[in-house]
Amino acid sequence: MGYFRSFFSGIYNLLLGLQTTAKYLPERAVTLQYPKEKWPMPERSRGVVVLLSDPETGELNCTACLLCQKACPVAAITITQAKDPAANKRYPKTFEIDNTICCFCGLCEEACNFDAIKLTGKYEFATFDKKSLIYDKEKLQELGRDVKYERKRKAPPKKPVAKTETGAENPAKDNPPKGEEKL
Amino acid sequence: MFELSGLVQWIYKIIAGISTSLGLPEIILDVILIALMAGAIIAFLMLMALFLIWWERKVAAHIQDRLGPMMTGWHGWAQTIADALKLLQKEDIVVANADRKVHYWAPVVAFSICFAVYAVIPFGKGLIAADVNIGILYILAITTFTTISLLMAGWGSNNKYALLGGMRSASQIISYEVPLTLSILGVVLMAGTLSMGKFVELQGPYFWKWYIWPQFLGFCIYVVASTAELNRTPFDIPEAEQELVAGFNIEYSGMKFAMFFLAEFLNMFTVGAVTTTLFLGGWNPPFPALAFVPSWAWFLGKSLFIVFVIMWFKWTYPRLRVDHLLGFAWKVLLPLAFLNLILTAVGVTIF
Repeated sequence: MGYFRSFFSGIYNLLLGLQTTAKYLPERAVTLQYPKEKWPMPERSRGVVVLLSDPETGELNCTACLLCQKACPVAAITITQAKDPAANKRYPKTFEIDNTICCFCGLCEEACNFDAIKLTGKYEFATFDKKSLIYDKEKLQELGRDVKYERKRKAPPKKPVAKTETGAENPAKDNPPKGEEKL
Repeated sequence: MFELSGLVQWIYKIIAGISTSLGLPEIILDVILIALMAGAIIAFLMLMALFLIWWERKVAAHIQDRLGPMMTGWHGWAQTIADALKLLQKEDIVVANADRKVHYWAPVVAFSICFAVYAVIPFGKGLIAADVNIGILYILAITTFTTISLLMAGWGSNNKYALLGGMRSASQIISYEVPLTLSILGVVLMAGTLSMGKFVELQGPYFWKWYIWPQFLGFCIYVVASTAELNRTPFDIPEAEQELVAGFNIEYSGMKFAMFFLAEFLNMFTVGAVTTTLFLGGWNPPFPALAFVPSWAWFLGKSLFIVFVIMWFKWTYPRLRVDHLLGFAWKVLLPLAFLNLILTAVGVTIF
């Protein structure tokens, strides 16, 4: 009897398998047709690094403070400082990110105090030429044009605030002690 | 309305008229007609093979909740054509120390055999190239040649995996040939003929008269055994990827590989066509009232349904182990086939 029982239970289980696959046959595919359709990337996804610009003036937010360069664990960022004497403001003369060694850790974004550098959801930057993966300032600015971001830091006030108020309340901010400056 | 037999008659009359007006001897007329029929069948089968490969990929994809080929044309319909063109451009590599002649002829044998079968397949009303009186015997004899082509491929490749695949396929096909033939014998007993055309005529346009009902056991045995003959999952040990890399066709590249591949799919359609003819009433509609659909469409629909079932098997079941596979043939299918044969013989004698 065991022979027949195993025979019929075998047939039953085979039919069960066919039923399972038949159930999946008319279902909608879960895959995406990649180049045509894309997943929406999460807001904090860590893809290509871009430089952000002021949406009103179109100028870079970067002040060439070199904090990101120092924060970068793989030394992928190279900045040359320059000073604009007319605006009395520093700006990056060159700003290069080497994507061949960038590890997309996001430390540069955390280090930045001026909302100038950000990791975006962009990920399609494969090329045939390794050298073209070193992005210069113009390329980074171009990539960051359409990136929406929330300003952590308000634009600095145009006129200096009356010194009596700030100086009285927080003298350490205006005149930091010399020992701290070296740090 | 859309029956093709009228067209065939018309072409025959034209060619016969031309040849008699030219005063050609009859043998030339025969040769021309045979060439035309062979050309038509080969053209149809090539298109069918291309379609079946595409269809298999689609079925596989949708069972796995994917979409399959989508880039070439509507739902990737031209994907097989693109693949075939790619394979045509590939270099033909022959391994060092291969048995060159055997290696060369193996895909040719495999490819030509699957066309030879279609000489006796009734595609529709009046659409049978040669209604010989031993049609089913001819099919059984011809399809067994597949073993030889696979053995040739395995032997000629100078590769142990290919040889193992060839040997496995030989043992498998020879084992499954026995229950397959016995399951067909049931139908032959009921019909009292071996002619493919007669099988269809005897079943008629009434689905309750088709041989699948009295021969249901035979039908199941036939489908299972022919799945094994096709070397398809769950019986695909001759090309078990995990053990044998690719089996007998591992050393083949380019168009020779494509010939094996196309032959496999054509053999699948052969199984569908033979099953349709023997068990599902051939080109007959299930009701006489449905006869407005042309007979070749019924034949195609039924054959493609059987092909779909075989594809469905492939994407459902895991592969059997070698000893399980042979044990299944000898311990389960063979007794069942004998039982079916005895029951049919008793039934035919009584009724």
